[in-house]
Amino acid sequence: MKWIFAFMVCTAVVFAQSAAEVEREHSRIIALENAWNQATQQKDSAALTMLLAPELVYVEYDGSLMGKAQYMASVQSPLVHPARIASESMTVHFYGDIAVVNGVYRESGAKDGKSYILRERFTDTWIHRNESWMCVASQSTLISH
Amino acid sequence: MKTRVFSVILVCSAITFVAGQSPGDSSVITNVLALEHAWNQAEQRKDTRALDAIFDNALVYVDYDGSFRTKAEFLARVKSTTSHPEQEITESMTGHMFGSTVIVTGLYLTRGLENGKPYARRGRFVDTWTFRDGKWLCVASQATPILR
Repeated sequence: MKWIFAFMVCTAVVFAQSAAEVEREHSRIIALENAWNQATQQKDSAALTMLLAPELVYVEYDGSLMGKAQYMASVQSPLVHPARIASESMTVHFYGDIAVVNGVYRESGAKDGKSYILRERFTDTWIHRNESWMCVASQSTLISH
Repeated sequence: MKTRVFSVILVCSAITFVAGQSPGDSSVITNVLALEHAWNQAEQRKDTRALDAIFDNALVYVDYDGSFRTKAEFLARVKSTTSHPEQEITESMTGHMFGSTVIVTGLYLTRGLENGKPYARRGRFVDTWTFRDGKWLCVASQATPILR
């Protein structure tokens, strides 16, 4: 009887630890998504370099495909001035060493001297590598309804 | 009926073939791309049984108009009587492997009838596949129309 009780306690502890770990990683991923938004708004290349994997595959809302270098160059463009960037309704699914994030992205600012507002749905795939998470794929689609 | 059976066999063969590979094997990408083609055929034939075998239950699907769908919602849309896809083509597909994950990028072209009206859509997609329980499953898929 004591052995059964001890087994049940151990199982509960393992589950609790596992749930706490998932919760911690979930918070980390959401924080990284927000850090990405901030880095984009501030055109912070050093931060983006840390967040994005060298093999990044990036699909912009207009369907254009970019690698990491092209994406970072687009962020640095002097023609684009994002004033506000925010992500909301984010969900995170974990599959071993990868995390898939889905959410809604809102950006407003000025481009070529004209103001713009974007509302997009995005999917980002993050990979856990060398004790940190890096984004390997990101795609946005304009919400048209 | 025959076409549905064919699709199920095609999908199961692809999954079994891929499951026999080591995740580090470069040919895995080729076989995940075969699953992409099987997906097109299954969708065109409204073969939800074959699609069910391809998708993870927690599938995250974002359609060309930015709408979000779960696996159940996606399968229901495929089965819808108001939608009649006539052509589902993918091209320029590239696979990137990250351990037990493969990310596929490519272009899609779909034509058909929806609510009695013809449509033709062209866009770019990114699909994320993971190796789980001995087979490759799509866990995320998104489509983005090409605007320029």
